[in-house]
Amino acid sequence: MADLGYVALVLAFAVSIYSAAASVLGKRSDRPELVASARNGVYAVFGLVTLASIALIYALLAHDFQVEYVASYTSRDMSPFYTLSAFWAGNDGSLLFWAWVLSIFGAIVIFQNRRASRELMPYVSSVVMATLAFFLLLMVFVSNPFAKLAFTPTDGIGLNPLLENPGMVFHPPTLLIGFAGFTIPFAFAIAALITRKLGDEWIRSIRRWTLFSWAILGLGTLLGAWWVYVELGWGGYWAWDPVENASLMPWLVATAFLHSIMIQRRRGMLKVWNMVLIIIIFNLIIFGTFLTRSGVISSVHTFSESALGSLFLGFIGIALIGSALLLIYRLGDLRAEAEFDARISRESGFLLNNLILVVATIAIFLGTIFPIISEAVRGVKVTVAAPFFNQVLAPIFLIIIFGMGIIPFIGWRRASLGKLGRNLLFPSIVALILALVLSLLGIGNWYAILAFSICGFALSAILLEWFRGVRARRRTKRQNYLGAFFSLLWGNNPRYGAAIVHIGIIILAIGVIGSSAYKVESEASLLPGESMTIDGYTLTYEGMDEYIDGKKTVVAANLSVYQGGSFLGTMTPEMYLHANHPQWVAEVAIRYTLVEDPYVSLGGWDEQGVAAFRVLVNPLVSWVWIGGVVLLLGTVIVFWPDRLERRARSLKQGQGGEL
Amino acid sequence: MFKKRRYFVGGFVLLVALGFLLFNVFHSYSMYYYTIGELKAAGESIYGERVRVTGQVAEGSIEYDVENRILTFTISDEEESLPVLYEGILPSNFDDGVEVVVEGGYNSTGVFEADQIITKCPSRYVPAE
Repeated sequence: MADLGYVALVLAFAVSIYSAAASVLGKRSDRPELVASARNGVYAVFGLVTLASIALIYALLAHDFQVEYVASYTSRDMSPFYTLSAFWAGNDGSLLFWAWVLSIFGAIVIFQNRRASRELMPYVSSVVMATLAFFLLLMVFVSNPFAKLAFTPTDGIGLNPLLENPGMVFHPPTLLIGFAGFTIPFAFAIAALITRKLGDEWIRSIRRWTLFSWAILGLGTLLGAWWVYVELGWGGYWAWDPVENASLMPWLVATAFLHSIMIQRRRGMLKVWNMVLIIIIFNLIIFGTFLTRSGVISSVHTFSESALGSLFLGFIGIALIGSALLLIYRLGDLRAEAEFDARISRESGFLLNNLILVVATIAIFLGTIFPIISEAVRGVKVTVAAPFFNQVLAPIFLIIIFGMGIIPFIGWRRASLGKLGRNLLFPSIVALILALVLSLLGIGNWYAILAFSICGFALSAILLEWFRGVRARRRTKRQNYLGAFFSLLWGNNPRYGAAIVHIGIIILAIGVIGSSAYKVESEASLLPGESMTIDGYTLTYEGMDEYIDGKKTVVAANLSVYQGGSFLGTMTPEMYLHANHPQWVAEVAIRYTLVEDPYVSLGGWDEQGVAAFRVLVNPLVSWVWIGGVVLLLGTVIVFWPDRLERRARSLKQGQGGEL
Repeated sequence: MFKKRRYFVGGFVLLVALGFLLFNVFHSYSMYYYTIGELKAAGESIYGERVRVTGQVAEGSIEYDVENRILTFTISDEEESLPVLYEGILPSNFDDGVEVVVEGGYNSTGVFEADQIITKCPSRYVPAE
């Protein structure tokens, strides 16, 4: 079965190269049968890569330990759920997953457009197939998931226990789906450049693909943060580790892209900018995938060198230089259809938002690759610690949030400053009151208070605008408030869905501000019966349990938590030793509330019965997760066809046409 | 073209502002990343500076005083070894042979005083040899 998988990969590699070439050749020499053959090739590749994936899944579930990958990441005692997740646990498998997802997306996009975009599609298909060919090349020649051992082990090494966590199971595939998804908009951009169809067509085709990929990438990044918080146990959820940055950077640029394509659709402007952005996004993604797999940056995740690195760099080189040259070549065709009319307009506001997001990405990029540059230039590695990123990016992100409050009130083409001022009066007052209240409550430092005020400003601005819309609709449609709310929401999905997304970001920001600015920490060594206090909490060490749970030896410490005299509950931090993993792993105990999370780690004990604990109180962390959920909900609403589109579709269906 | 120039200027100003911000903050939070040999070779020049050093935890070198939460161990690589002192609870995933990055300061005592220990994540993306 494993051999079948490898053969399928080899065949897929050959067919993808054929399809990429035939597509372009057929289009240029006007031979539709070649183009059709290339299209079939896309479906064939999808079938072959699916076959290879099924082969891997089979090998995993059937415990075929002669396959090195299966032996490295699974063992007999693992549940089917985690055994399946081993598919993407290692390098080779994750490459196969990337390829599988891309082959699925390629097939979908070809099918979606089988009767449309005849000019663009051959080139779209070619770019997708070429990218797929690259990943297949990696697997066929360097990182074969089906590589076999010379013998068959009786059992596998198993998954690292840190990875046996639901968040960690979903984090890699979500990220990979988001990454692969951006290949489609990139392919359309290249196709548009080649065919000189640089108007609305490619933008319209990619809107949902971009939205989907952006949302999934965001979800994957948040899941990673969740895993860091729950499993790594140092008390935070983001360390600005290169691999974390690798997923954040394309996401930030994609956020900019989502906004600027709106401007191109409305006013035909920013055409060159949009091209630049999507090229950057795609290459950042490949670069990020490269970072994770080569030992180039010493990060928490990676520490080994291989031929993979050079191949990735080669691909990035080709993709980047190729698309840049193409863009320069077509610069003349990318003329804007309108000029920026006034200094202050929604267009310029969007452009500012874009610039700031790109500036933030540049900052993160520089901080991330600085160790490589310094080592190459000066022979000594210089790393950049987390506070660098926090200090540089905090003001940048606050400006963006501030913009969320202002820009929706600025009209397209030009703004009336007087009107703007009147609109912003209420949010400004809210912000000031908030700042006053917070400082009176003695909630510390001015920077955090300013940040909270800005969030309050933006939030109240969004809500105000929404309320006005509801009120107006209530009057005109004679509905009650609730009815007006929903009909407004469903009447204009993109606009109000976007408002929800912005609200989600603000909630997330509040969580980030709270947990960064007001974290409290303490350590203590306790005998059973002894207590420690932190930030109004009293924790009493009750005692220790030791027990066996399957393949794990668990040492669990029980602490009773009191706040202001009343008993809140028991927290049980653990350390366990898993049979497959030679080191003791800490399992943090967290108590989730809306206000703050008490967070307890067990770190050592001795024969006298003394146990060492580290306790953190992390304020507002739950707001980060809640903000993420709201963000995703808003995206679903934006994604949904709005009233106009639904009506257009039902009209088309009524007339006997297809979608 | 006048209008376009305005936007180039704006973008340029932003980049300059960023550069300024980066430069200022960078100094406070950049640190050298050394191997043990490089650390020792650097000598007095890095006393009192915040640095990172990488190595493997030497077999049998871990000693932990639970009462006072003081951890001492030795990191080594193929060539050199370095004693490390850390105040805090025992880190997760920490044992003989584990690859770590320690962050802290070094001085004439010859003992590295770490305030952060980073154990490397499970090696998920190690390519098949």
